[in-house]
Order: sequence, then structure tokens, then C-alpha cells
Amino acid sequence: MIEAIEVNKIFGGHHVLKNISCSFEKGKTNLIIGQSGSGKTVLMKCLVGLYEVDGGKILYDDRNFSRMNFEQRKNLRQEIGMLFQGGALFDYMTVEQNVMFPLNMFTGQTKEEKLNRVNFVLTRVNLENVNNLMPSELSGGMRKRVAIARAISMNPKYLFCDEPNSGLDPQTSGVIDKLIKEITDEYGITTIVNTHDMNSVLSIGDTVAFIYNSELWWKGDKNTILHSDNKELNEFVFGTELTSRLKQ
Amino acid sequence: MITNTGDYVLLMLRVFTKPQKGRIFWQRLMEEIQGLGIESIGIVAFISAFMGAVVAIQTAYNIDSPFIPLSMVGFTVRQSVILEFSPTIISLILAGKVGSRIASEIGTMRVTEQIDALEIMGVNSANYLIFPKVVASMLINPVLIVLSMWMGILGGWLAMSAFGLVTTTDYVRGLRIDFEVFTIFYALLKTLAFAFIISTVSGFYGYKTNGGALEVGQASTKAVVVSSILIILFNLVLTQLLLT
Repeated sequence: MIEAIEVNKIFGGHHVLKNISCSFEKGKTNLIIGQSGSGKTVLMKCLVGLYEVDGGKILYDDRNFSRMNFEQRKNLRQEIGMLFQGGALFDYMTVEQNVMFPLNMFTGQTKEEKLNRVNFVLTRVNLENVNNLMPSELSGGMRKRVAIARAISMNPKYLFCDEPNSGLDPQTSGVIDKLIKEITDEYGITTIVNTHDMNSVLSIGDTVAFIYNSELWWKGDKNTILHSDNKELNEFVFGTELTSRLKQ
Repeated sequence: MITNTGDYVLLMLRVFTKPQKGRIFWQRLMEEIQGLGIESIGIVAFISAFMGAVVAIQTAYNIDSPFIPLSMVGFTVRQSVILEFSPTIISLILAGKVGSRIASEIGTMRVTEQIDALEIMGVNSANYLIFPKVVASMLINPVLIVLSMWMGILGGWLAMSAFGLVTTTDYVRGLRIDFEVFTIFYALLKTLAFAFIISTVSGFYGYKTNGGALEVGQASTKAVVVSSILIILFNLVLTQLLLT
């Protein structure tokens, strides 16, 4: 479980996160939703330590991440996998080298063991015979899947996904969502997904936290989100033509 | 400027640490030697040969007194190439070629979140990305500069032979007049300092890039400009320290 306790973040006098307290449960896909600029990406970057919090603390299974030194954080980060918005694959490496990178850096496995692991995770994300391709030769959906494969190659306990569906068509988005959900269930990972895609919310949102105006505005799940009487949440959820027609 | 200097020092403290995995460091080092050094051989050899030729021709045409021996052409080419042209001018050219490459490569990795990905994995990204480039530059730049010296002197000789201005005997005699090995040491010491400046300053500007493609371009330009200014300044300081 990951807990954010009264987390605050300020950029140049602008309060981007205001006293956010939220827990993200183990074995579940925990979604953070909100409009662009609401602070959800900043919250995720605070959770993984890419931004230092200006107040409050972050606990990983009761381990205070905010107070850890560089070495302790380095060790904890080997338990973290992250899928970035654009994939963030190393563009000078092949798919195989990308997925093998964490194994090369942090394990003493033999070449054969590493290759077996790479092939296993690539198969797990439904990719085969792509080992020698460069990231520039992959489609958007394939890049995301390679990034997921790299993120899970070290058997992480915590998986972070920053807008995994951005730039993808609805069908491919569905495939990525399904994959994230399956991996979370299969390995009992604490997964946190940043999204503003309502399809994702309704299909994989075991828990949903709605960030509005830099604050945690609402918390629930995919079953309760459609029946909430929270005005701002309803404006967000039913903000598109499709969802408003569905509501009617 | 003070903030930048502070940030630079803090970044260097992260860069100059023990690599997390020795084997991966060596692999990266070989790649950088190839990318930053071997791929610069052509341009360094081409510019050096032509500059050596031009220095020789200009010197030969300016010797109009019968009391000045023609061997002075070889002497002048040697002194200008070894003392100044190869270590300083070629380093300035490398600041443009290699510096922009380092800054844009690291800057692009920053804006496409590849550096964040390294950090999330628990990799010291500053050490992983910049340290092999610094070591590679400091290993390969002296080799390039020695090559440049040879090519400059060779270019001068070829020009003199081709245009019949100075005989090979006079040219070679000039090359050997009052030769001091210390001048080579001086040139290589300057080269090492300039290699450090180019790789660390470019790495710094690339690493602190923030934004998108426009900012990557700006970081690359800044890296070249600041490296060039520092090379000129340190050239004066090192010359004063080493030759007086």
C-alpha cells in the first residue's frame, strides 16, 4: 500500500497540491483522475520522488519515502516500475536492450537468464519477434507495451502509469488498460494510474481519486462514480458529448 | 551565473561517483569514444591539414628578406600548430561538434522523460549519462590533438612541395629548430582541460533542459557558447601559468 499524507507541493508561489491525503491499495488499480493542470501528474511525480514534497509525507508499506536518503531511495526504486506518458524508451537501444536494461543494472543474472526473462515479459504484453527493433520502428501502442514490459521486468511491487492511453485509439487503449489490470491482479501489485480517460475509469478503476483545483475532491470507485452528486466530478465525468448523451 | 555555477558543482558531485555497474560503464565508454572521438577524426584531419598549409604559405610569402632562412616556414608552422592551433582552435571546433551533440542528446533524453525513467529505476542518471562522456573526451581528445599536429605539419609540407616555395630539407630543418618536448606536454595539458570543459559544460546544459524541442536547441547553443568562452578564458590562464 502507498499512502500520501497531507502532501503539499508549491511551484513558484503557486500551490499545486494542497493537503492531499490518499491511500492506494495493494493488488488494485488505483486511478487518479482530474482535468489537465489539476495536479495529478505532480502528485504522481511526488509519489515516486521525482519532485520533493514541500509538506506531508509518503509511505510505501509504512516506509517513510520522504525521509529516505539517496541510497535507501535507490533500493526502494528497484521495487518500482513506471510507465511514462510517451513510453520513455531509450531510443538508442533495441526493444530487447530496453527491457533488459534494469536486469543488467541491478541483477547478477547470466545472459541466458536475462534473455529468458525479457522474452517472458515481452510475451506477457503480447509482443513477439520485436526484440531487435528500435523504438522508432514501433507503433504508439507497441511502445507502451514495451514500456510496460520494461516496468515489470524486475517484478515490481508498485507500478505507476502516467496517462497510459494518451495518443492511442480507443481499441488500443482498451488493450493497454486490460493489460495493466491483468498484471496488477496476477502479481498483486499496487498500481497507480493517472488518467482522464473515462473508459479506463469505468473498466479498471478499483479505486478512483478525483483531483480538482489541487485538492482531493472525491474518492470512490468505478461503481460509485456515475452516481455521485459531486457537482465538479459530474462536470468532469459527463463533460464529453458521448458521456452526457449516455447519461441522458 | 552564480546559480548556474552552484547547479553545475552540485551536478558534478553526482557525476563523479563510482559507476553502479563497471561492465556497463566500459560499454558506454567505448560507445562514447566511438561517437565523440572516432567520428571526429575526419573533420579534425581535414581542418588541420588545410590550416597547416595556409600557415606555411602565408609565412613563405611574408619572408622577403634574404637574411631570414626559408627553414623559418617549418619552424613557424610547428610552433603555431603545436602551441595554439591544434590544442585551442581544434578544441573550439570540438566544442561545436561534440558539445552540441552531448547537450542535444542529453536534453532530448530529459524532455522525453528518459532521464526520469533512469531515476525511477534507481540509476544515478547524471553519472550514467555524463561520466562516460567526460572520460571518453579526456581520453580521445589528446589523441585527436596529436593527430591534428601531425596533419597540420604534413599539410604545410605538402603545400610547400606542391607550390615549390620551400624545399623539404629546409622545411624539416625548420621543424627541428629549438624543439622542446615541453611544448607537446603544454598542448596536451591544455587539451585535457578543454576536454573537461566541453564535456561537463555540455552535459550540464543538456541535463538541466526543461521544456521541449525549442529548449533542447537553446541548451545546445548555450553549451557551445559557454564552452567556447571558457576555453578562451582558460587558454589565457593556462598559457600564463605554464609558459611563464
